[in-house]
Parts: sequence; structure tokens; C-alpha cells
Amino acid sequence: MSALIEVEGISKAFGGVQALATCHLEVQQGSIAGLIGPNGSGKTTLFNVITGYERATEGEVRFGGTAITNSSPERVFALGIGRTFQLTRIFARLTVLENMLVATQRREGWMRSLVRGAGSSSERSRAIELLEFVGIARLAGEPAGNLSFGQRKLLELASLLVADPAVLLLDEPAGGVNPTLIKHLAERIRELNKAGKTFLVVEHNMEFVMSLCETVTVLSQGSTLISDRPDVVRADPAVLDAYLGGEGVDEDADADAGRAVDEGGVTAASRVEVIGERRADAPARPPILTISGVTAGYGGGDILKDVSFEVPEGGITCIVGPNGAGKSTLLATVSGLLRPRLGEITFEGKRLNGLSPRQIVGRGVSLVPQVHSLFPQMTVGENVEMGAFTIRDRRLVAERLAAVAELFPIVTQRAKERAGSLSGGQQRLVEFARSMMLDPKLIILDEPSMGLDPQTRGAVFETVSVMNAQGRTILLVEQNARAGLKLSTSGIVLENGMVRLRGSGREVLEHPEIGALYLGGSVAHAA
Amino acid sequence: MSAAGALEPAPRRRRLPAWPLWLVALALVGVFPLVFTDVTTTSIAVFTLIFMVSAAAWNIFSGYSGYLALGHAVFFGTGAYTFALTAQDWHVPTGWTLFALLPLGGLVAGAVAIPLGLIALRTRRHTFVVVTIAMFFVFQLLATNLPFTNGTSGIQVNTPLWSPYTYNRPFFYMTLVILVLTVIVSWAVRRSRFGLQLMAIRDDEDRARGMGVRVWPVKLTAFALSAIPIGMVGGMYAYFLGVIYPQVAFDPLFDIAIALMAFLGGLGTLAGPLLGALVLESLQQYFTEQFSNSSLYLIIYGGLFLLVILLLPRGVIPSLAQFVGSRRARAASRRSGGEDAGGLGVDVAGATP
Repeated sequence: MSALIEVEGISKAFGGVQALATCHLEVQQGSIAGLIGPNGSGKTTLFNVITGYERATEGEVRFGGTAITNSSPERVFALGIGRTFQLTRIFARLTVLENMLVATQRREGWMRSLVRGAGSSSERSRAIELLEFVGIARLAGEPAGNLSFGQRKLLELASLLVADPAVLLLDEPAGGVNPTLIKHLAERIRELNKAGKTFLVVEHNMEFVMSLCETVTVLSQGSTLISDRPDVVRADPAVLDAYLGGEGVDEDADADAGRAVDEGGVTAASRVEVIGERRADAPARPPILTISGVTAGYGGGDILKDVSFEVPEGGITCIVGPNGAGKSTLLATVSGLLRPRLGEITFEGKRLNGLSPRQIVGRGVSLVPQVHSLFPQMTVGENVEMGAFTIRDRRLVAERLAAVAELFPIVTQRAKERAGSLSGGQQRLVEFARSMMLDPKLIILDEPSMGLDPQTRGAVFETVSVMNAQGRTILLVEQNARAGLKLSTSGIVLENGMVRLRGSGREVLEHPEIGALYLGGSVAHAA
Repeated sequence: MSAAGALEPAPRRRRLPAWPLWLVALALVGVFPLVFTDVTTTSIAVFTLIFMVSAAAWNIFSGYSGYLALGHAVFFGTGAYTFALTAQDWHVPTGWTLFALLPLGGLVAGAVAIPLGLIALRTRRHTFVVVTIAMFFVFQLLATNLPFTNGTSGIQVNTPLWSPYTYNRPFFYMTLVILVLTVIVSWAVRRSRFGLQLMAIRDDEDRARGMGVRVWPVKLTAFALSAIPIGMVGGMYAYFLGVIYPQVAFDPLFDIAIALMAFLGGLGTLAGPLLGALVLESLQQYFTEQFSNSSLYLIIYGGLFLLVILLLPRGVIPSLAQFVGSRRARAASRRSGGEDAGGLGVDVAGATP
């Protein structure tokens, strides 16, 4: 076997953000290779660089020994590399069969294509054959936009096969798909592999990757961490660290936090004392938010299954869990964006489910979403004021603004600057400030450290502590499980939409099972 | 329940062949000036045909590719001026011979489209719309200010000495010929590999590239192809009016009108733009005649559009097709005893049992 795809020292920067840093990858001819890594580790960016959708800043991509770095997507496909997209992409207004015929075009001169009908009879029968292979031939005449999510995945795969590419790059083929279809997909991939196709698969479903792939490459912060057999990768403690967040880095971040905080403009004096105080009295408090037996989903099936837990008043509760565990769905349910099918959510003893998001905000629950949500063209000051949009009383708004500005000096220091010009960490702080404008009792933070470097992350976490010390209860979803749990008074582990572990932050953090949750299978990892 | 087994069969759609309908429509249009001989009526018919060609040609690019171009008056004006200038400079005798200059107008418009496309097609969506509008204004300025266009005084075209009673007929039938050719091209594009690539670009250009579609030649060809018939009827317009001015040849209302016609009838369909142009242009001409140049038709235009956007947001033809389709599906499910309750096989593997 020889390497069919070689990625050598590829780097890619978006503005100041280094998405890929001298990344290496080899895919052997005829193999199924896996590519894993925590969110934001650069997997999709690497796919985009290989297939010509993004230009690499440095490095080389070789296909069958020939350099194809920064070729156009058309050329990469013509050479024999087909790819699917994370958010399945099909041609929605073409029929399923027409979708299949698009890729047959590649050997066709464009002048001739003008006079030739779309798809010769042999191409059409080949297309139908492939649709039968994936199991959606009966939908050939339907507009592709009518297909379900799972069927779109199958169509996306089949439509590439028409051109008979040597390699298929699949971006999360099992994402958002039910177990039956995942099995079906895995079988199809194995069958194609037997017929000689090479695969490179990005996937968060560890069982899927570990059972399907011969080699697994782990990306972490844009670099290759390890590339080896699945069992070796699974047993490597560095891989677990990448998923859970390195502890060593956190210590540094804590040490640097003071400086970072001052740069960011947050004075968090007396924070250490407060943290100690809060930790001492937190367990005695009653729950402010109670979630009992909540089952919810988006129509395609339940994502949360009978979830129950309590958020103690005055504490920081951290929810962790692998991708697709239902963390964001849970937050959406609490904030009223999604109605639970079963179960009840009570806040301060009153039912929350059934209320609109606006009413829930009115009760004192404030959500800071995962993606940056500031209005980039508006100034920092205007953004924070928008947080109090529903308050008519100008004096009250001014009072709140003053209080928030005291906690977040960035609000006054950078008041006149456009929010879009701030760094990622600073934007987070402004988002926090905005969420404080309605004087919420419970602040929900969805992945506050997402996309931040360790120092800024430390500063953001310090701010979370400070907000908590000011009497706000915090409910936090965090990708960096170690840092999140360390900060928290109680921790909850979600897996497959169910609560797997519950306890104090430290208990959860030190639980031996937590590694297995992230990497699948049974891994005995001493935390 | 296997994933494949969970997929419901798609209802079979039996489609009647459409060509007899097209022939009947063509025959009806063909006898129109023989039945309605009134000069006002036939001149409205000529204008309507000109706009039917324009909307259908515009649809070849914008309808199939999804790129909303709002500057096709550039090609209309280019065709008109090419026609008027060559007729004048080459001393072509008026009458039937002059029609021979129309293809030249089309070709020049197509040639102009290539550099414009090379610039405009670098952008997408809103930016593309704005760039095409900007190009239009550049051309309007050029038409007013270039030395050979005779500025705002315009250029005269020698009108033929035909009988005033049947004067409009040659214009009507020549425009009809152009219309038939345009519709055939539009139909051929739609069913060709080229058209499939265009529609793939419309649905997801980046993915189309990832499937080997070379988007540049495809987009540029469609852009130029849509300019040619518009250039030809631009020449026809100049000939029919007997004179051409910059503000008439390069009219911003033309840009908007043909887009609205295609939207009204159904963007990206074969018959939609024809229907839209037929309704809107004839109405507009009629109202202009009736209420002597008042702007009343603009109000009716606006009201009609509000109605269409509210009730038939995808245009008349697609909405009708959908209505007929769902009627048939319901009838089919009644016949099969409600077995096909899942509808169009949309509900599938992803759904919970």
C-alpha cells in the first residue's frame, strides 16, 4: 500500500486565527482512514484545503504523489477526490436523478454539453443502479428538497459515486442520522472500500470511526496529535486530554488570568475569596431550576430522553458530554426555543415550559449562545444597551448600564468602538455584559470558551466566577470539560440525550468513566 | 425495518406531453393579427411579443442560474443602436431587407455580454445585482454621450412604406419567429447537460464546483446566450418605433419589467416568463392607450405584484403545478385507500416509528 493522499505541513490562518498549524496526514490507498478531534480542531478546514475550497497558507497536499495544493475544487474532483459536506448539501430543486447526473459532466466539453441531453441512457441507468445501492432509487423522480435528512446524506454520497472518484472524503456522514441508517451507511462504505475506494472520514461518532477505520488521525488545535490504529489512539492519554481540555494549560491560564483580565478590561478583584465563600455555602441552597423527565427533539426523533437534574441556586452548574449528546438541545429547551415533548421545567417553583422565549427572559433567565451574537456593526455601548431593549424606563437602563460597566470596564472603555472590531474573548465579555442588563437570576452560557486561546479562556472563566459571586446562578455547557468542571460547584454529564453522571464538579471530573464517554468503548484513564 | 425498506415509493407522475399545447398556443398567436386587425391592437401585440422574447431570454440566464441580473437593458439598447446605426451607415433599404440586420444586433449584444459577464460574474447574490445595475447606468451614459449615438436627439430608422392597415404584421411575425427560436433555445438549455449544470449552480454553486462543474464557462455562456435574443428584439424595437433614443433603448424600467414578468410567471420555468410578459406587457400597453399616458398602470402593476407575492410566491406556473400535483396525490391516495398517507415519500428513514 502506498499513500494516496499526503498532507504535509499544511497551515491555514483566518485573519489572526490559526485554524491549521503544520498539519500532517496520510491516507493509504484502499484504506478507510478516520479524522477526529474536538470541535474547532480544524477537521473541516483540512477537508476544505484538500478539496480546494480554502487556500493553504503553507504546506503541500499530494494526491498519488502529485502536488495538488490550492487547486480549484473542480480540478480536485476531476482528479478523483470527491467530498461530502458536514451540513449535507444537495441540489434541492433538481430531482434526485438530476442530482445524480451533475457529476457525470466532468468529461464533457462545455460546447458539446450545450447540445447534449442531460444524461445518456447509460448514465441514467448507472445513476439508478447507484441509487439502488444506497437504497433511494424509488425517489429518483422526486425533487431532492423533499428528501429527509438521512436520505440527503445517501444522495450526497451516491451523487459522487457517479464520477467514480478514487477517494471519498466524508464530513460527518453519521451526524444527525439514526442508528439504523448509520449501520446502513457503514455497510455501504465497507462495500465500496472492498471495491477499491479509499475513504477519509471525519466523524464525531466514535463507535462509527473506531469500528470502521483502519487508521485514525487526531487533530488538536490545528495540528496532528497522533495517527495510528484505532485501539492505540483510544488508549493514548494525550487524545483524551485534547478532548477534555489540557489541565496543564489551565494552570498557566489561571496564572496568566490576572493579566489577561486586565487587558480585557475586567477587574475581578477579590474573586478568589468569593469563590471560596461560594463553594462553602452553595450546597445548602435550594434548586433554582428543576428539570424533570424532559424528552425533546426536533421532529426527527427525540434528542433528549427523560433528562432530570437540578441546578442549585447560587452555584455554577456545568454540563459536559461528547458532541451530539444533546447539550445545546437542553439549553434550547430551557430557554424556550424548543418545547419539550414530555416532562417539566420549573424555575423558582414555577413552570417554564410552554412559555415563549421572551417570557422566559422576563422571568430572569438569560442565555448567551454558542455562536458570537453581538451586532457587529453596532458599537459596544449600543450592543450592551440592546440587552435592556425590553425595559422602557430610561433611568433604570442607565442604572443597570452603570452597574454592568463597573463589572465589565470594557463596556465604557470601548463603548464607541464597533463590536465587530473586538477580539473573540472581548466579544464574549460584551455578550456577558449584555446578558446582565436584564438583571437575570440564572445565566445560561453555551460554550463560552469556544474558539478562545487558553489565556483568554482563563479570563472568561474568571468573569463567570465573578458574575456568580454577584449572586447569579450559572448554568454552563462546556466543551473543555476539565476547565468547566473545575470552575463549577456541580457537574452533569450527558450522553446520547441522557444524564450519565451527576455530582459535584470535582466528583464528575475525577470519575473514571468520563474518558470512555468521549472516546467510546472502555478506556481506563486515570484522570 | 431496514433503512432501504423504510423508504416509501414515490408516487408515479404521469405527465402528458406538453408539445401539443405549445403548438395550439403558437397557432393561436399566429392567427391573432388576422383576427384582430385593429392597428392599436396589433401594435400592442408586437410590443408584447418583444417583451415575451426578452423575459424568456432573461430567464435562460437568471431563471436557470439563480443569478438575478438587473441590467439586461444594456443588451436591448446595444441591439437597438447596432440596428439603427448599421441601417443608417450601410444604407440598407427599408422593408423586409432591414430585418436581416436583427441577428447582427443580437450578436453584438452577445459579444458585449462576454466582457460584462467576466466582470459581473465574479460576484454573487446582492453584489451581482448591484454590479449589473451599475453596468446598465454606464451604458445609458455612454449612449447619451458617445459621438456616434447622436445623443438625446436619437437616430432615425427609415420606416417601410407598407399599407397602414397591415403595417404591423411583418413586425409581428418576425418577432414571433425570434420568440419561437428563443423558446426552443430555452427548452434545449433546460434539458441539456449545460442546463443541468446551470441549475446545479443555482441550487449550490460551491457544491457544483466540488462535483466537477466548471462554473465559469457555464455561467458566462448562459449570460451571453441570454443577451442575444434581447439584442435582436432591441433592433426590432428600434425598427418598429422608427427612431431610437438613449432613454428609450436603455430604460431602467425594462430591467425591472422583464425580471418581474419572469417572477410573475415562474422563474426558471419554460412557459412562466412568456405568461408573465403576456399578462403584464399587454395590460400596460392597454392602460397606456386607455388612460393616455397616465401612470395608472404602475399602480395596477404594483397591486398585481403584491397579490402574486402573497398568494403565489413562486410564480403562477410553479404554484399551479404544485396545486395540480397535490390534487393528484390526494386523488391517488384516496384510490389506494389512504395507504399513501405519508405523502410524497418525504417521511422516511430519519423519522421515529
